[in-house]
Amino acid sequence: MSDTLVAGKVTVAPAQFVHVKYDAAEIAALVTDLTEQLGVSNPIELTIDETTPLAKIVSELDAVSSDAVIRIAAQSGALENTKVLTTLGPVQTKVAVGRMLLRARDRMRDDFADAPADNDLTREENAAWDTYCAGRLLRAGCEIHEQRWRYNYRNRFGFSDAVDTNFDRLWAADDLGWATLFPGT
Amino acid sequence: MVWHKVTIHRVSGSTDTLPVVKLREMGMLMRQFFPVEDLARDERFVQTNMAERLADTRNPINATPSGRKSSKSRAASNRLTPDRPDASERARGLMHGIMVGEIQALEGAGRTAHDFDAGDGSGDTIPFELKLDMARQAWDEARHVEISAKLGDWMGTELGEFQENTVLFEAACSNDPVLRLAGVNRALEGLAIDVFTQMKEFGDLAGDPFLEFCEDWMLADEVTHVKMGSDWLRKVTETDPDRRKRALEFQQVVDKLFSFGGARGDHDESSFILARRFRELAGFTDDEVDTISELDHEALVERQAAIATAQAAMTGASAPT
Repeated sequence: MSDTLVAGKVTVAPAQFVHVKYDAAEIAALVTDLTEQLGVSNPIELTIDETTPLAKIVSELDAVSSDAVIRIAAQSGALENTKVLTTLGPVQTKVAVGRMLLRARDRMRDDFADAPADNDLTREENAAWDTYCAGRLLRAGCEIHEQRWRYNYRNRFGFSDAVDTNFDRLWAADDLGWATLFPGT
Repeated sequence: MVWHKVTIHRVSGSTDTLPVVKLREMGMLMRQFFPVEDLARDERFVQTNMAERLADTRNPINATPSGRKSSKSRAASNRLTPDRPDASERARGLMHGIMVGEIQALEGAGRTAHDFDAGDGSGDTIPFELKLDMARQAWDEARHVEISAKLGDWMGTELGEFQENTVLFEAACSNDPVLRLAGVNRALEGLAIDVFTQMKEFGDLAGDPFLEFCEDWMLADEVTHVKMGSDWLRKVTETDPDRRKRALEFQQVVDKLFSFGGARGDHDESSFILARRFRELAGFTDDEVDTISELDHEALVERQAAIATAQAAMTGASAPT
């Protein structure tokens, strides 16, 4: 039995889960929907670590080109329904994978050439980039709770009006470069 | 069937006594001993229990997608602090857990105020002053529910976004009021002291102007609730050492459950630590806190062993010893 499921341009591994009640075909369908919503046409390889309930998710490109493969590594908690643990959360999946697709698309731009690899991002860089992605996901039709991302941004940059102003700028933006994600730029 | 009399205490000090049967005919009596399945929740809330939680075979410790640990990961400690990469999400989840815990604490204290007749504390009776303390606690918990719901809103959490573990209310369902004091006021509210201390510190370190402030105020109430439980447990069992022993044994069982598989404890793998100073203020002796710490460690070891066994069974490998 293959340990990956291939559905069109989306590959999900593992194809069958034992620790969580996830369905690889359902995940592939959700990701395919997302690619259409966001206008991402690249092949996608999604690998899920189901041995942990933690929720880290990272992505990378196999090359800096418009047809690069987007590789996403997620811990099972990133895709989990928080109301019924160990089951798949369609909303959580779309929000988590959607951020990774937007990051990957950003990385194909010249003005994101200086962005560190996902595993090397600081907490502040992560928060700023996530804010920029979440705002765009909301406008693309994903179910996004703005206050959640505002709280995360405040935790990283501080609880002040100036920080909120920066958050609002990122939240509303659609065409930023890496250097302009941060306060004072 | 034996019908008891219900005594209505008035602020003036006078009392009226009505037969229960009359009140029941009038539809004025609430039923006693409410099962957890009947708790009132709207469709936003999904409930779970400890058995379901502990059946989760995933290991929350020592794993990253890339299989490596970094200085930014949880390698150094599992403590809930703002410098964790997942700090905001963990804090939101814990805050929601606090909110539903407050709802259940309100329900538990309310039940204890109602379920037992006023008396000298023997049998199924509780001193009337204990009823008053439970009523005051219910009022405090209602305020905490409101504060916690508003904090959740502030953190970007929707009501019912996370599942509700009903273990807290289950500890409040004993038929013996003394066991409720041990399970709810000392074990459950003791856990609240630990969690609130952690969240207060989290808010302080993050610079969150509301979280630290609110947790500090709620913490003060929880210390009072634990103290009430400690004082009443000693008073009601003053002449019944066997009953006191059973109550303290029950408290240990609940304390171990409330450790959530070692999520609380003095070790690095725990998300939050035992708040020794506040527990001391609440009437715990050093020996009692040490015992809870040992129970926490036992719970952690048992949980890790259960996960290792389950994961080994699923992969066909031998479980580490």
